[in-house]
Amino acid sequence: MATETPPRPLPHGTHRSADDPHVLLEDDYDFYEPIPPYPPRTEREAEFYTLGDGEMFLNMGPQHPSTHGVLRVVLKLDGERVVDIDPVLGYLHRGVEKLVENADYHQTISQVDPLEYISSLFCEWAPVTAYEKLLDVEVPRRAEYIRVLSGELNRIASHALFMGWFALDLGGLTPILWSFIERDEIVEMLAALTGQRMLFNYFRIGGVNGDLNHEFMSRLGDWMSRAVSQIDSNIGLLNENEIFVRRASGLGIVDTETALRFCMTGSNLRATGVPFDLRRAHPYSIYPELDFDIPTRTEGDCLARYLLRMEEIKQSLRIIDQCLERMPDGPIMAKLPRLLRPRPGRAWSAVEGPRGVYGAYAISDGSDQPFRLKIHDPSFIHLQAVGALLPGNLLADTMVIMASLDPVMGGVDK
Amino acid sequence: MARTWDRLTIPGKALFVLIPLLAVLTAGLIITIALFGQQILDILIFNLPIVRFVLAATVLLLLAPPIAFVIIYMEMKIIALMNLRIGPDRVGPWGSLLSTVHGLKVLMKEDFTPTRADAVVFTWAPVVVFAAAALSALVLPFAPGLYGQDFNLGLLYFFAIGGMTVVGLLMGGWSSFNKYSLLGGLRSAAQIISYEIPLTLSVVGLVLLAGTLSLNTIVVQQGAVYDAAGNLVRGGWFLDWYAFRQPLGFLIFAIAATAEANRTPFDLTEADSEIVAGFATEYSGMRFGFFFFAEYINVFIISAITTVLFLGGWNAPFPAPHISWIINPGAFGIGLLFLVALVPLIGTLVLAAPFYLFRSNTRWWVALILGFLLFNVIAGGLITLWAYINFDWVAGLVWFMGKTFGLVFLFVWMRGTLPRVRIDQLMSFAWKWLLPASLLNLFVTALAIVVIDALRHPR
Amino acid sequence: MSLLSGLVPGLGIAKGMALTLRRFFAPKATVMYPEMPADVATKFRGRLQLLYDEYGALKCETCFQCAQACPIECIDMGGVDTRGRFHVHWGAPETYGERREESAMRRSGRTVPDQAYEHFASFDLTTLDEILDGYDHDPKRMLQMLEATQAAFGYLPVAAIKRISEKTGAWYATIYGTASYYGHLRFEPPSNTAQAGEVSARRASDETYLAALGASLGGRPGGDA
Repeated sequence: MATETPPRPLPHGTHRSADDPHVLLEDDYDFYEPIPPYPPRTEREAEFYTLGDGEMFLNMGPQHPSTHGVLRVVLKLDGERVVDIDPVLGYLHRGVEKLVENADYHQTISQVDPLEYISSLFCEWAPVTAYEKLLDVEVPRRAEYIRVLSGELNRIASHALFMGWFALDLGGLTPILWSFIERDEIVEMLAALTGQRMLFNYFRIGGVNGDLNHEFMSRLGDWMSRAVSQIDSNIGLLNENEIFVRRASGLGIVDTETALRFCMTGSNLRATGVPFDLRRAHPYSIYPELDFDIPTRTEGDCLARYLLRMEEIKQSLRIIDQCLERMPDGPIMAKLPRLLRPRPGRAWSAVEGPRGVYGAYAISDGSDQPFRLKIHDPSFIHLQAVGALLPGNLLADTMVIMASLDPVMGGVDK
Repeated sequence: MARTWDRLTIPGKALFVLIPLLAVLTAGLIITIALFGQQILDILIFNLPIVRFVLAATVLLLLAPPIAFVIIYMEMKIIALMNLRIGPDRVGPWGSLLSTVHGLKVLMKEDFTPTRADAVVFTWAPVVVFAAAALSALVLPFAPGLYGQDFNLGLLYFFAIGGMTVVGLLMGGWSSFNKYSLLGGLRSAAQIISYEIPLTLSVVGLVLLAGTLSLNTIVVQQGAVYDAAGNLVRGGWFLDWYAFRQPLGFLIFAIAATAEANRTPFDLTEADSEIVAGFATEYSGMRFGFFFFAEYINVFIISAITTVLFLGGWNAPFPAPHISWIINPGAFGIGLLFLVALVPLIGTLVLAAPFYLFRSNTRWWVALILGFLLFNVIAGGLITLWAYINFDWVAGLVWFMGKTFGLVFLFVWMRGTLPRVRIDQLMSFAWKWLLPASLLNLFVTALAIVVIDALRHPR
Repeated sequence: MSLLSGLVPGLGIAKGMALTLRRFFAPKATVMYPEMPADVATKFRGRLQLLYDEYGALKCETCFQCAQACPIECIDMGGVDTRGRFHVHWGAPETYGERREESAMRRSGRTVPDQAYEHFASFDLTTLDEILDGYDHDPKRMLQMLEATQAAFGYLPVAAIKRISEKTGAWYATIYGTASYYGHLRFEPPSNTAQAGEVSARRASDETYLAALGASLGGRPGGDA
């Protein structure tokens, strides 16, 4: 008994021939079909996905070689000039904030770690201090010093990588490898301290996981003895280069007002002339005891952001020196029960990461798991500015402007 | 029979067919030559220019991939060393065979055509680019007497054929059905056409000085002048090169040539951080390989033409003492037999002895192998030296290749250092700076020629 | 410096080129990894992984040492140890999906049925709770608590250890480690015959021992000559 089998679905973009149903023909679709094939859902989409005279769409990402992670940007181009952009986020969404709600307070540290995978320690720092506020814990001074020391090392690693990326987006092949050498040394010494190269999982509620050990100190001393000259000479490859300076200066200018309107923080804000650094503005940890400068620049362009980050590397080296000099003795963990049950309440805490203010807002309901942990990520804030900065620039500059804001897609998509 | 045939692998089947075929063809060829050898030779001699052209084109097309392999390897290794990496070090000595292996890999990869691509244009674009790159080498004088064709419009031919590259790039960019490719193709069109003008204008001053467009003559003019007896009359020092008579022209030519070859800092057509791979985004397999080869052959040719025009071509930077060291093998008589039979043996033993005697842990056969290698190196060096002294074309080729690969090193060095310029900077640089500068160069040169001529021959 | 580079066009480019040429001859940073050992930090955690022996069996003996050492309880463990007993650790981040209900119940204040322990016999916990109250839920007095528990039940049931873990806040793995360290604490019900048989099988009997001693002394010690 033959049963009627349902017709197999046709391959995408084909239809059956009218003469012979066994023949598949390719659909005769319009060549210049708008990139999302659905009808526009909002007015903004309708406006963006209507092409003007001589314009075309260019779909950049999520696999483009230089979109810094998995960002997709739909560009509307007029020749090589960008008219409008439509960024599409969410390709790296892992639901970290939801995962955190189903984990112990201790376990959340490993969950928030991979958010900003370039500078993981700061992703831990903000939630951990928020929990400490919830629990009303006093962190030992030695632990605070170790936190600052490792955090500043991580900041240098992040800025070194920024330098390489920025140069790579401008077409220079060499700086990315030189800066990766620096980053690798830092990351290796952090591995000697924390046990992992990238997702450190090092900070604990009330202290840090392990004390300074001999291996870390020897690696650190070895690197510090040549860090300044090495980084200076790495920077010297580009920052006087005429091609580099002409391409980066006057590009993607953010004035102070715009920066404040976009809630920019960190180096991107300081490059516009606002000396706002959380380490000085709302001092936390042991930063009030340390002596360091907040470098600022007034130009607000890509070159200013680049040079400012290079300045910050030097300030971080100063901080590391002072930390090593003043490192007190004592415990590295506060006395805490294994199972944490903070009283119901809420706490906000923020730290100055390499990209800006990295914040965490934790709500406790009295159980051993956080009721809610909201992560405030600076990359997401800075990426908003791309929409205002890109239009009017050339295609070649889109990547440069995006790189100069230094977003990390892990933090943007959470 | 059929089962045996099926058991053969694909190379086996190919050999099974090819070997009998080749045997038959060779036999036929031998018989033909034996019967009609003299007549064939006569015909060939009668049509010598055509034969020379075909031979030169064949040799150049065959030589192009090896040159590209060498330059690709240089690029990989030099940039790696500048990046503080080691780079290729696994295939061959110091990884030198890696680019060859890459070439073989490219041959084996799938040759992919996108669905909506214009298949014919898509297929022919790499061919056009490669042919343009390889054929412009036809007029290059590599050494005295070692050039494909020496005609009076050599420089013009060079620029004309070299400019054809842009047609291929544009074809590839247009036919790929990809917006990145399209942008790359259009960028290459804009860039190469813009830089063609200062490139050509910068050598006009040189042409005024030289009074000819023949590349061979231009090289001869930069060298030493000998009388009939072989004695040096004048010149021969590197100050005779056109780079020192036309410094501004040389600078403009170098910059424009970099842009012409799509090299950093003007590699906008394949800017990987902007438009993924430019015109080559959709290409794969050997078609991509042709683009890749063409790029590196272009580097070689641009270096070579710079050498020919401005750096004296095959001429040594100092006047060479005109000695000759002629060895007549017949003069040795029966001694030649002993020479051929005994000298390698004795040389090997003599050179192996120190390894065996003074290093106690060396096995005898290791010492022999080392001695043999050392003897080969020394003998090869001696023979090369003899050839260098005795044959003009060997000396010329050594100097020509040395200068050319020095310039290739410069290109690679720049790629390792410099970031990329933007398209509007590129254009404004060409039109606002290079073009006026090359016109100025032309004007100054013409003025100088007129003034010096007037001073020398006052009316 | 910047004034000079502003005056001389191309000076910055030349400086960069000089720098790359210097680095061209500098010692290289590459680690020839398979030939040279990588310089891995002693504390490097690497990847958590269960190893297999040459027969394809898991090398893990369920000793719970790793679970004890793990600072944030991310290691879960379930398996049969060398003596054929089934053990399970209390929970892991990997089981969040299964534990979501549980978490919601715990938040709302209800008791949570623990599925991992369902196949272990449950019993009335009031006795145990009294013992724990007596010791003030203090994990530092774990041994006394465990001894009292064994005195009450005759052995340490899995459910009891779980309850102690919940009440004191000590990890299951730690309690298990403590209990397994002391020989007099046991995890199975003491069956009298089985235990006696086990003891007699381990020890040589007095008769044999005395005979051997007498033989060595040339007569029967302490008896009639």
